[in-house]
Amino acid sequence: MKTRASKFLAIILDNLIWILVLAGLVIFSVLSPSFRTPFNLVNTLSRSAYLGVLVIGQAFAMISGNFDLSSESGLGLTAMVAGLFLASTTNGGFGFEVSPILAILIMIAVGLIIGFINGILITRMRMNNLIVTIAMQMILRGLIYIISPGATASFFPKSFDWLGGGNLIKIPMEKGNLAIPTASIFIILAFIIAHIITRYTQFGRNMYAVGSNPVAAKDAGIETDKIIRIVYLISGFCMAIGGLLIAGRLDSATPRIGAGLIFPVQAAAVVGGVSLFGGRGTMIGAFGGLLLWSILDSGLSIMEVSPFWIEASRGLLLLFAVGIDAIKVKGMHQRALEESLATTQIGLKDNKIVTD
Amino acid sequence: MDKLKKIDWMKQLLDNFIWIIIAIVYLYFASNVGGKFVTLSNQFNILSHASVLGILVIGQAIVLLTGNFDLSAEGVLSLTTIFAMWLMVVPRTDAGGAQASGLMLNPLIVIPIMFCIGILSGWLIGMMITRLKMNNFIVTLAMQLVLRGIAMLVSGGQIMTGSPALFNWLGGTRINGFPVAVGVTLIMYLVVNYLLNHSKFGRELRAVGANRDAAQASGFDPKKTITFAYIISGFMAAFAGWMLLGRLETTISTLGQGMTLETVAASVIGGVSLKGGLGSVGGAFAGVMLLSIIDNGLNLMEVDPFWVQGVRGMIILLALLIEAQKFRYKPKVIHENNEKPAEKVSA
Amino acid sequence: MNIEKIKTSAAPILVMTEVSKAFPGVQALRRVNLRVLPGEIHGLVGKNGAGKTTLMAVLMGITEPNEGTIEISGKVFATMTSKEAIEAGIAYVPQHVAMMDSLTVAENILAGELPKNKLGFVDWKRVNQEAEKRLEQLNLRLDVTKKVEGLGVAEQTMLAISKALFGNAKLIILDEPTASLSRSDINRLFDFVKSLRDKGVSFVYISHHLEEVFEICDRVTVMRDGRIVDTKNVKDIGIPELIMMMVGEGVEEYTRESTCTDEIVFVLNNLTRRGCYEDISLELKKGEVVGITGLQGCGSEQLGKGLFGLEYRGVGEVKIHGEEFTAMRPIDSFNQGLAYLPQDRYRFGLVGVRPVRENVTYPILNRLVRLINLINRNEEKKIVSDYIKGLDIITPNQEQPVRLLSGGNQQKVVFAKLASTKPTVLILHEPTQGVDVRAKMDIFRIIDELAKQGVATVVLSSEIRELIGLCDRILVMNSGKLTHEYKKGAKDTTPENILNAIEGGKENHG
Repeated sequence: MKTRASKFLAIILDNLIWILVLAGLVIFSVLSPSFRTPFNLVNTLSRSAYLGVLVIGQAFAMISGNFDLSSESGLGLTAMVAGLFLASTTNGGFGFEVSPILAILIMIAVGLIIGFINGILITRMRMNNLIVTIAMQMILRGLIYIISPGATASFFPKSFDWLGGGNLIKIPMEKGNLAIPTASIFIILAFIIAHIITRYTQFGRNMYAVGSNPVAAKDAGIETDKIIRIVYLISGFCMAIGGLLIAGRLDSATPRIGAGLIFPVQAAAVVGGVSLFGGRGTMIGAFGGLLLWSILDSGLSIMEVSPFWIEASRGLLLLFAVGIDAIKVKGMHQRALEESLATTQIGLKDNKIVTD
Repeated sequence: MDKLKKIDWMKQLLDNFIWIIIAIVYLYFASNVGGKFVTLSNQFNILSHASVLGILVIGQAIVLLTGNFDLSAEGVLSLTTIFAMWLMVVPRTDAGGAQASGLMLNPLIVIPIMFCIGILSGWLIGMMITRLKMNNFIVTLAMQLVLRGIAMLVSGGQIMTGSPALFNWLGGTRINGFPVAVGVTLIMYLVVNYLLNHSKFGRELRAVGANRDAAQASGFDPKKTITFAYIISGFMAAFAGWMLLGRLETTISTLGQGMTLETVAASVIGGVSLKGGLGSVGGAFAGVMLLSIIDNGLNLMEVDPFWVQGVRGMIILLALLIEAQKFRYKPKVIHENNEKPAEKVSA
Repeated sequence: MNIEKIKTSAAPILVMTEVSKAFPGVQALRRVNLRVLPGEIHGLVGKNGAGKTTLMAVLMGITEPNEGTIEISGKVFATMTSKEAIEAGIAYVPQHVAMMDSLTVAENILAGELPKNKLGFVDWKRVNQEAEKRLEQLNLRLDVTKKVEGLGVAEQTMLAISKALFGNAKLIILDEPTASLSRSDINRLFDFVKSLRDKGVSFVYISHHLEEVFEICDRVTVMRDGRIVDTKNVKDIGIPELIMMMVGEGVEEYTRESTCTDEIVFVLNNLTRRGCYEDISLELKKGEVVGITGLQGCGSEQLGKGLFGLEYRGVGEVKIHGEEFTAMRPIDSFNQGLAYLPQDRYRFGLVGVRPVRENVTYPILNRLVRLINLINRNEEKKIVSDYIKGLDIITPNQEQPVRLLSGGNQQKVVFAKLASTKPTVLILHEPTQGVDVRAKMDIFRIIDELAKQGVATVVLSSEIRELIGLCDRILVMNSGKLTHEYKKGAKDTTPENILNAIEGGKENHG
């Protein structure tokens, strides 16, 4: 009994993110000539690549019906650890100056440990995932400050920086060579892999099942707790990769890295269609959320909008996204009620369909 | 019947256990730190810190009683102090005063404006949660961001110093070394605790938190109750801002970062249930004392401040664990009247 | 997945023997004996609170019985985990089916075991094909690529049943499956269930739509107060006998003298709510007690809640004391003189953890408040203590959390709460439900006392004998309309006649 109008609305809401992305591109391109240079467009993604990896981790968590609000601190911690192990003492590090490969392995280990702890606290100890991951966020941030003797660790080996800050290829253009940053390509690849996992693997589909209805998933034989623990491990892994990307891009690490990231990560995921209620959303949509975010960030700073407006706007974007999510779900309930009332024979005089 | 009696007994023990823990912790610090810890002026320091946290906890506990969270309080703290400075301070060329508006309003006008900001924020949050049915966690989290963003905007990211003496009265005045703020906070607690136990609103709060449906069928309006709880929380945050700014005479847009979770921890430690309906403001006060003593003691032991942050996080986890254990003792009854099994005990 | 034609032997697929179960404060099951044959659709009926839900919980391994055994296909269990129950072949399809709504039909069917291609990735084409193939075996055609939340309720139920069968279920419990279904939906569902029965699958069919029970079930078991009343072949009885078994003989006959006056205090004019009730018109007099009876789903529950403001009321005129009754929320209803006793005491009636004193005074706090919102404790204590005495509420003191009281005393607390608002009109929904025999008489006495004081009372109840004793008139509600009226003392006011006037509730929405 869906009317054409409500069907149309449903399509719009489902693809809202791409409409917004397009709108953002167009608006900023019109408003600012420096926005629409090939250089800027190509770099927009690379600037937010580290955010993108966190979005992947958060999207995984949300699809399975959970939250991971500790990822910003995890990113900071892995970046700091790498920095301390890579940099010489004059540059703020411990002086171990390990090889980049070893540093990366250590980062991944740290990320996995964080994910492991989160998973255990939430599944075995049955603690509330929101509060646990927020508490972790605090603990880890404290840990970052504790382990760093100085303010900054910098000047890492070029090979370490390559993923986050290096360039993949150079395309000859009219005005010179256009360097395609590795990070831009990497993040696209990462989302493709994430999409394959969520769409085409048993594990990925189990995530959706758990997030949609954990009871039904259990009845189908899916080990819900195990899935959730793996999801948090993945989120931890993403923290490490994110740390790699940002440390590489900045060629340094400070204790403040990542602070406040949780808001854009959350907003990007939700705006991209990953529902707070679980069991819904695609990595493609999340990528759209990331794109929207990057465009907004890039566009607003090129137009030299005060960074403080940007801060406030992040919160507004999150509120907006959550509001849309709530409206979508409310709309579904309303439609379900309408459908069930459509077939009744009783009380046809009364035309109102009232939900609470 | 026996099982239910056992539950109440257990609950009583867990609820009042906190004072024993406070005593133990206090003695630990007294013996390990020695002289510096037990001086009178140090007691005042502990209490000073506790007073700001304590005001915030009042607001958080009230919201928790309705079964919700308020993560925005620290944002209100930040914005109200920044905005107040912007309105009050004499513009100067140095860093601390560069951002002032030049209006140089009288504190007697500015303080009520701070309250209005807190009330407005609480009202907006209440509306979004009750009318738009948005998730209370995320909404208050986002609100915190918005408020801090505005604070950043107004302050330009700089610190702001030089609040006028009249304004500083609440936070800065000491009588024979005893901070007035502490006395005010204590009075607040007594008053609020009394009100919660003896007022209609207190009844309403607990009923809505314990069993929203029954509360509605008994004549309460849960939407109004919850919104009002958030308004109170916003008001308290503004009040805490007045107190804190008065004591520090300085503010920055990152003021109060991390305090929110402290307020939740203090409340949970003090027996306020995260599910709503249970607990008292007096219990939360115990949590505040514990956290303040720990903060102070670790400080005096010259523990790295960021370790302290970490310890706080761990205390929260511990509090959660205890909370989770409390609910092991709830009897579950399959209920005939609904399609789905419901719990005979409401909280 | 194997669905073979099971030879109809005498060996039952399920035997529950002397199963008893007690919860704190209530004996939910008393020595229940139940037997279900293979290839049978076995109806299970009873009022709310009769024990059907608890019995099924025991069968599904969710709750352990205190006594008794469960035998499934010959295997005997004293206690059972839900895993063991599923492995033994028991499946449960709840009223609101537990599916992964945001996933497609195919994914729900094949959850956990999605077909993959050579590379190990999910092969969606094969997923859909395999899902369709499985459904075809049951003669069910669904669009497997559609999200479950987009399916109609009938389809969702059939899907849930199919899933159960794919999990090798031999006995499927259907819990109120037709609640929001249209006639054609029901036909499709019933055809499906019957075809499965013919293949040897057994069903326990729980429903309050008695006409449907007669339509689809082979045998039916009636429960009341935690006991099995009887099990009969469906073709051997009719609806009136069934209702009689469900509501029982009643205890000592209770009668009261009418206190009805001539003053009309409450008027309903053509009250209509879509999907629930239609053209409800009623005039209540001061001191009158009117009963409304009908099957669950006839609309009386929604009417009560709608008038009180807990649900949408619908369109139509409501007048109290000649003035328009504008209340849309409970607090306004109380203030305008209408009070409601909910059927679900635990969810709507009382805040369990709070003391008796608080529960009684919630709606009248405005009256007890002095300056700045503070409650006059002394006055409160006095009012509450008066009610405790007057209603004979057994409690150690006023501070006792109400959840610790017995069912009957809890109900009295609710009555005290409502009485304290000094209502003009009182709507009682199943006032004696979950109340022990002795307390029932107290409840009748309370109703009588209130009526003497002039309260116009509406009693929504299925206990016909109780209504005959209490009420000045009894109205029968069928499918949202008031169809019959029986006056106190009239020759045709008999339980049999009233029962016969009740049809199996066909439509029930909202």
